Amino acid sequence: MRKNTTALFVASLLAFVLCISPAVTAAEKVKIGALFPFSGPLALLGQETFNGATIAADIVNEKGGLWGKQIEWVKGDGVDPKKAMTECERLISVEEIKLIFGTYSSSRSYAASGVAERNGVIYWEEGAIADPITERGFKYVFRTCPRASQFGIMAVDFAKEVLAPKLGIDPKKMKVAIMFEDSLYGTTVGSNAAKHALNMKMNVVATDSYSHKSVDLSPVVMRFRAREPDVIIATSYLQDGLLFWRQAKEANLNVKSFIGTGACHGMPDWAKTFGDEANYIFNIDPAIGINPDVLSPKTKAVLKVFQEKFNKKFGHLPATHASLGFVGARVLFEEVLPGVGSLDPDAIREAALKVNIPKGDTIFGFGVKFAPPEHPAAGQNLLAHPALMQWQEQKMVVVYPVEFGVSKPLIPLPTWDQRAKGETSFVK
Amino acid sequence: MSTTVIQLIINGLLLGGIYALISIGLTLIFGVVEIINFAHGEFLMLSMYGSYWLFQLYGVDPYVSLLMVIPTFFLIGWAVQRIIIQPIIDAPPLNQIFATVGVSLVLQNVALFLWKADYRTVRTAYSGLSLKTAGLMISFPRLVAFFLALALIAGLLTFLKRTYTGKAIRAIAQERRAAMLMGIDINRMYKVAFGIGIACVGAAGAMLIPIYYTFPTVGGLFVLIAFVVVILGGYNSLIGALVGGLIIGVVEAFSGFFLSPHLKEAVYFVIFILILLFRPTGLFGRG
Repeated sequence: MRKNTTALFVASLLAFVLCISPAVTAAEKVKIGALFPFSGPLALLGQETFNGATIAADIVNEKGGLWGKQIEWVKGDGVDPKKAMTECERLISVEEIKLIFGTYSSSRSYAASGVAERNGVIYWEEGAIADPITERGFKYVFRTCPRASQFGIMAVDFAKEVLAPKLGIDPKKMKVAIMFEDSLYGTTVGSNAAKHALNMKMNVVATDSYSHKSVDLSPVVMRFRAREPDVIIATSYLQDGLLFWRQAKEANLNVKSFIGTGACHGMPDWAKTFGDEANYIFNIDPAIGINPDVLSPKTKAVLKVFQEKFNKKFGHLPATHASLGFVGARVLFEEVLPGVGSLDPDAIREAALKVNIPKGDTIFGFGVKFAPPEHPAAGQNLLAHPALMQWQEQKMVVVYPVEFGVSKPLIPLPTWDQRAKGETSFVK
Repeated sequence: MSTTVIQLIINGLLLGGIYALISIGLTLIFGVVEIINFAHGEFLMLSMYGSYWLFQLYGVDPYVSLLMVIPTFFLIGWAVQRIIIQPIIDAPPLNQIFATVGVSLVLQNVALFLWKADYRTVRTAYSGLSLKTAGLMISFPRLVAFFLALALIAGLLTFLKRTYTGKAIRAIAQERRAAMLMGIDINRMYKVAFGIGIACVGAAGAMLIPIYYTFPTVGGLFVLIAFVVVILGGYNSLIGALVGGLIIGVVEAFSGFFLSPHLKEAVYFVIFILILLFRPTGLFGRG
């Protein structure tokens, strides 16, 4: 009987503590909104990106937190752009969040960041790449990752600086064919690539867009065959990118180089579908496997801690998306917020505009400096850039910018006949 | 230049063969049962998955899998007709549309649930293989699909011309009431027709998997074109579906090459509208 009384006493005490503790600790926490697609078709990478960000928060919390308080995430589920807006609304009005971190998906980010701006709440974007997100002259939207247009521009720069000399072609005579799927993503990347190539006085022989829902891309293949480009710059979703490469093989379309700009050509499915035929293709994306010599000693240590903690918490090593989340959150927690002392949006904004992280001090190797309000891309990290990788032995390795590279690019692309005969061991 | 034109014609015809095979089933169901089967694309998706899994799990070549896919899909079609379509055969058209759209949504989501949204394809020895003659490239899997499609269509036409069941099906397509008065068991014939229609699209799926990819919403990409083909060919003519498919394939190849790849869909939809305006019964249709 006595035992029971004690147990009852302990239980009620426990219940009491549990009841009041949220109220006590809530005041001592820094609440940050996390707006990601946590369910629906984009949930996998949305969750993965957020996972990366949680590690940045864990590191701060272990060291005693921000301003002596623990960071706490309040989640919003942006299943689609409309839901992202209502969830953003809810985080701001119901949860009284002053800073929202998101979103990985461009369409969701574009919609939700508008809501945050209207409410004077900071919107911190770490992974959505559509240019227009930071082209609306917004005061409270900041983005740490590179923009889609840079992907197209980098493809052209690479063709001019690396491919042309290696192939012994004058860049002005180099025949460039550009293909892109005709939604916002492909059009942004493709049209910027075309514009940049023309500015560089390169010989653009084709600029072809197509619907990614098309079940036959032989017209694109045939047009390219007729114009005999030296290099193809492609922006494709998965289904159309795979279809094009298969039909290129069927039609024996041979080019000296092929550069993909994200999506299809950077996905594991690329190698899974084509095996060795995936090799030699270039792809542009934010990259994690860069040459560690680019990183400062401090950042090298950060990278190691990040990988260890992430692996321990989630059971696998972080890939690109998780790393984007980590970098975005780390800039926020380590460089911006400590000096502000509160979540006042205007104070955060002022501190963000003063951030100046040199090259080599984020795990992607790029620095951080946000465009000032008068800049056409206000709030964009102007130092962010993607990297160019190549599929070598069915793995993606970074080859450009040269100092970021861990391997030399293999040029040219073997012809289909050479591939069939197994003559694909090119001199580096 | 002339090689390019010949190559475009070949590309177009090979593509058209696939369109024709998908459309034949739709035409048959449309013409006989007088149901617009909005779930047609989803049956295509299912058969693509079927061939995919047969290849992945048991190493069955997609062309060999035809031997299993065709009878299985005939039975599936039979069952769908018996369970879902037959009870609403005399219902207003709107209800019938809801029923087949419902089937399509259910199948899509079941596929999404079972197999995720991943793109899946098989890698056979002949994937991406081409026959090279006189500067022309002829895709081997597409060529096989084309001739198998022709063979299946020829077989189907012979069946409809020669056998009692075939004649009964044609009789229903021509005049339902008179066929009933002649003592034809129309419910049974509907089941056969629906079964054959689904078997055709099942065959198309097995032939597509070495060429294309499957994912839960793949059907929608093909079935939209199939509707254009069916209208172009005349909604109850099998020959019309074949010719219509080939025409759309060639039009797509030419407009994609000479105009622009992103306009090729627009071109065949313009043709679609023109047909509806000037020859609503299609090329081979009876008024």
